[in-house]
Amino acid sequence: MKRLIVFALVLAMAPLLACAQTYPSKPIRLVVPYPSGGPLDITARSIGQKLTETWHQPVVVDNRPGAGGNIGADFVAKSPADGYTLLMGAVATHAINPVLYGKVPYDPIKDFAPVALVAQVPNILVVNPSLPVKSVKELIEFARAKPGALNFGSGSTGSTGHLAGELFKTMAHVEMVHIPYKGAAAAMADLLAGQVQLMFDNLASALPNVKAGKLRALAVTTLRRSPALPDLPTIAEAGLPGFDLSTWFGIMLPAGTAPDIVARLNAEIVRALNAKDMRERLENMGTEPPPENTPEKFSAFIRSEAAKYAKVVKDSGAKVE
Amino acid sequence: MDFSLIHNLAIGFGTAMSLQNLFYCFMGVLLGTLIGVLPGIGPLATIAMLLPVTFSLPPVSALIMLAGIYYGAQYGGSTTSILVNLPGEAASVITCIDGYQMARQGRAGPALAISAMGSFFAGCVATVIIALFAPPLAEVALKFGPAEYFALMVLGLVGATVLAHGSLIKAIAMTILGLLLGLVGTDVNSGMARYTFGLSELSDGIGFVIVAMGIFGLAEIISNLEQGESASEVFVNKVTGLMPTWKDLKSSSGAILRGTAIGSALGILPGGGALLSSFAAYTLEKKIGDPSGFGKGEIRGVAAPESANNAGAQTSFIPLLTLGIPSNPVMALMIGAMMIQGIAPGPQVMTERPQLFWGMIVSMWIGNLMLVILNLPMIGMWVKLLTVPYRILYPAILLFCAVGVYSLSNQPFDVMLMALFGLFGWVWRKMECEPAPMILGFILGPLMEENLRRAMLLSRGDPSVFATKPICAVLLGISIVLLLITLAPAVRKTREEAFVEE
Repeated sequence: MKRLIVFALVLAMAPLLACAQTYPSKPIRLVVPYPSGGPLDITARSIGQKLTETWHQPVVVDNRPGAGGNIGADFVAKSPADGYTLLMGAVATHAINPVLYGKVPYDPIKDFAPVALVAQVPNILVVNPSLPVKSVKELIEFARAKPGALNFGSGSTGSTGHLAGELFKTMAHVEMVHIPYKGAAAAMADLLAGQVQLMFDNLASALPNVKAGKLRALAVTTLRRSPALPDLPTIAEAGLPGFDLSTWFGIMLPAGTAPDIVARLNAEIVRALNAKDMRERLENMGTEPPPENTPEKFSAFIRSEAAKYAKVVKDSGAKVE
Repeated sequence: MDFSLIHNLAIGFGTAMSLQNLFYCFMGVLLGTLIGVLPGIGPLATIAMLLPVTFSLPPVSALIMLAGIYYGAQYGGSTTSILVNLPGEAASVITCIDGYQMARQGRAGPALAISAMGSFFAGCVATVIIALFAPPLAEVALKFGPAEYFALMVLGLVGATVLAHGSLIKAIAMTILGLLLGLVGTDVNSGMARYTFGLSELSDGIGFVIVAMGIFGLAEIISNLEQGESASEVFVNKVTGLMPTWKDLKSSSGAILRGTAIGSALGILPGGGALLSSFAAYTLEKKIGDPSGFGKGEIRGVAAPESANNAGAQTSFIPLLTLGIPSNPVMALMIGAMMIQGIAPGPQVMTERPQLFWGMIVSMWIGNLMLVILNLPMIGMWVKLLTVPYRILYPAILLFCAVGVYSLSNQPFDVMLMALFGLFGWVWRKMECEPAPMILGFILGPLMEENLRRAMLLSRGDPSVFATKPICAVLLGISIVLLLITLAPAVRKTREEAFVEE
């Protein structure tokens, strides 16, 4: 009888052993807080596929769009911290929305354990060719000469395209009118038509039209030049030192997840990002795998971004209720 | 120009006719038809699920398959609209009006057949248009700014009252109700959340599929159940021939031509053009010729919108292929698929990758051919489906609706909202208020408001811009004329009644 009890107890403990040692032992859910098809979603699917190949456990992308990304982020924040629910968090969910919306149902710093930054994509300042400016300096002069004459489009209020414009206005002391659209594609259509004169669009989306001559590229918004357009200066170089803005996204886990799971995931994601085909995909987006990609660095990055956007959003006066 | 067209078509045929691409085209259209038939699950969800599969495929094959799913779904979507009054997408809503009535009269076969034939014709014509005129058409589309879109939407809304065949006042009331429902969500221009009651699920508005499934599908089921056994007998006993009669074909031919023209024109406009195509075609058809049969099973009311929405679906590829701008969420996914393959969608796709561009165009034509060959024989099978006893049919429909709506955003909230709209839809039926004008108001209202405010932002608050821009002024002028024509008989009638009373 005693042997039976011991045997039963050992059997009962076996699953615990399995969990601790062989993560992952069941399918992993990667929550993408945006609708399918965007660059963030596609990159998430690519990474998911790579993880599936290595670990022989399916990594399933779960799209939970809505409220600018807050619904998906909240879902993961409240998920169990067992390493089986990941979030592809972004600048929107973790730096912009908390300030833009006033309050969000999760704490972007306390509720998450950052794992790895996936990509930091620059925005690019493009103008309609009919606008007689060929550089950032000329644009600033033009805008100062005609305050309020220029329109800049963006994909939505509070998007990086919008906030880049607001930061530009603040740092250059110019007045431009922001025209929000439902999605960057609609904004791009009106930019090509000349209804709006400039836009701080996602580099990958704007690049084909720049190459075809339908748009003129003036500068990129990050501090470092983009490998896709090495001859294009940064806004910081071209007239507004210190201007730094990018659309970034990265993998996060709910806070309290075991550190060894975080470390394993980080190692695997970094490996996936540096694989040849992922590098190519990132290059097509105008960026490259982030260097020195550790959970601690990512965590520090998120904090600094949150602080930066707190100021940018407040200065712009943008609000979503 | 002619010589290079033949050369380009040769490239296209060479690419599209390879065994591999033919296979993928077939898979795409087959999947698309099946998806279109299943209520709720639409091409958007399917393409999203299949995106990872396309990673490993060569780019042309991947895009051919995804495109096949998209326009195949247009064919399939009309099937459920006609058979069970369930529109799968915005475009199929209008087909419900007359198509379902035809099915109730036992004429589901001819309805399905005309729908397939009209769609095929429209698809072919639209493909030719893309082949010949894609770049200049894209330039024309760019001339449509916010003011012009606003005027187009106003015209569409005025046409909404024509959609109803009952009381005019009720149609206007339903249109306004649709406008109000369309307000729910976060406003683009100010960032304010309207009518969301603090629920983040509502902050992006109420999804169209949810409303359509509820008001058309669920309400129909509730109302059929209320009537009891007698309802289902209608379908079983009165099924007459499967193919349209010569009379049907003759009267539909004009409708098909007009529908194709409207659909091709409106599909080019990024930003909601294709949505309007089926509505506009139906409205035009009703205005031309004899309007008495509409709403009671008039075959022109099926032929015109079906041709229009297929033409619109094909021509909505134009902004994508020439400018890299998606006209709707499905096109946005196609852009995603292209970017995965390392192809940057934009103006140079035509010149840098002619096999991709022309291969896709030729495969659209091949796909349309495959679809009509697939669909016509299946009509017999679909009609047999109607003979399934209703007590087995309706739980299946309910299940598919629920699964379909849930698959949109993985939220149970959406399913409950659909049930709520089902209830509303049933109540409105009892009050003899028609759903079609409401749906139109629901779709057009937000677009109209967005474009109105954007036009005003761009003109810095100057309303004269609506009268000075030529296209906009013309469209608004037509709207006013149409409004007067619609209201005039009603006014005359009340005046006559007033005179009689005196």
